[in-house]
Amino acid sequence: MWLASAQQAVVGGVLLWASGYKLLHRNASAHARRSVLARLTGTERVAVAYRAVGAVEAVAGLLLLAPPVFAAEAYAAVALSAGMLGYLAYGRWRAPESSCGCLGDKHTPVRGRGFARAGVLLVLSALAVTATEPWLNSPLATVGVAVVEGAVVVALSPELDHRWLIPLRRWRVRRRHPLSRHAVEIPLESTIQQLWKSGAYRSVVEQLTSDLLDHWDEGEWRLLTYAARTADGPVTAVFAVPRLAYEPDRARVALVPVAEDIFV
Amino acid sequence: MADILGRRRFLSSAVLGTSATVLTATTIGSLAPEALADPVKLDVEAGAPDPNFVEGRITGIAGGLLMVTGSDRTLNQIHLTKATSVWKLRPTTADAARVGDGLYARGVRMPDGTLAADAVWLNIVNLQVHITSIGRDVLHLDHHGDRIVGHVVSGTTAAVYNNTPAVGDLSLLEVGRHAQVIGAWRPDTNEVDVATVYAAA
Repeated sequence: MWLASAQQAVVGGVLLWASGYKLLHRNASAHARRSVLARLTGTERVAVAYRAVGAVEAVAGLLLLAPPVFAAEAYAAVALSAGMLGYLAYGRWRAPESSCGCLGDKHTPVRGRGFARAGVLLVLSALAVTATEPWLNSPLATVGVAVVEGAVVVALSPELDHRWLIPLRRWRVRRRHPLSRHAVEIPLESTIQQLWKSGAYRSVVEQLTSDLLDHWDEGEWRLLTYAARTADGPVTAVFAVPRLAYEPDRARVALVPVAEDIFV
Repeated sequence: MADILGRRRFLSSAVLGTSATVLTATTIGSLAPEALADPVKLDVEAGAPDPNFVEGRITGIAGGLLMVTGSDRTLNQIHLTKATSVWKLRPTTADAARVGDGLYARGVRMPDGTLAADAVWLNIVNLQVHITSIGRDVLHLDHHGDRIVGHVVSGTTAAVYNNTPAVGDLSLLEVGRHAQVIGAWRPDTNEVDVATVYAAA
């Protein structure tokens, strides 16, 4: 059963990798404080608990990788994976914004991919229980299986997206930007920013009561209206702002009385 | 519609016919505080709810009156007038409001407990995000681990790069970068229509 034997290597490798972050990374204790584990143990003890989990993972991983095959090693991995699922469920339930703290130093709240990864590891660990011979007896097959399954685990790890997924997408967008064709009109936001810088706006801003009511273009001008209140009653403040140039000093304003009944 | 166009023409001639670029106190009457029709009163105690502000979701619409249930289940009634600005992705009119829309409103509390709104923002959201992917007319965003789909609306979506004036060109947005998005939420989904995206370039 080379397939079952290969799982020892895969699961063992993933466990070692997970423990490596917890035991060796220099920001491990800071990361631990942001993880779901901090909710379980309290922030004072979380660094120790995080390292302890890492140590257990390291021992289980090394035992799985090392030659003599005992089903107990794989059962330990099954227990770890099942515990992981429970831990994720607890995190999703009680601390949805806390980090998983699983495979890397990136802050990654518990989401569907985390559950999928723990589920995959549980299945692989269960498969490893049936192994009878060491994976070293069929090294080529093991490498092949490890590459495929490793790719699945990496794909299910949001912590690692910045290493492969984001660069891939960045490269695709650099080659041909999907949004490069929107580029003609002067956006309204630009005119509003220009209005805010104008003396015309500053001279009446104390009287304005509403946000932008209406806007339209008139030749080189863009007209913007606001509701305003003066000592003589409600008025409409009309601003004319240069549309095609950034010249806030040319902006004009007029206050027009609101004659009719304003209730809709 | 003809009404609106006529009013616009009238207002255009009012502002473009004048040469007033700045209104001084004398053109609009005295600016002494006691002369203001509605002097700004800061009578809200620290920590107390601002009576002139309402947030929540629209649970009913009757003419110019919006029934709103706040996130703390407070019920409010909001009057919309012709002097009320309504924002829903862009400046729009009161008839754009729908039951289910999220709402922020600022105005004046009336003696009967209703709010006469000066400004209403429907479904407005302000998100600090990372851009995880860019597609055709769409930005995929990561908001503290949650995925949000940001729809680019041609002719409306604008970008502000490095605090320079807004432009319609979104081609400087990069995958993996941080961005701030002002947009209009599509109620009960994880999708927003993007009004303005602030990013470094």
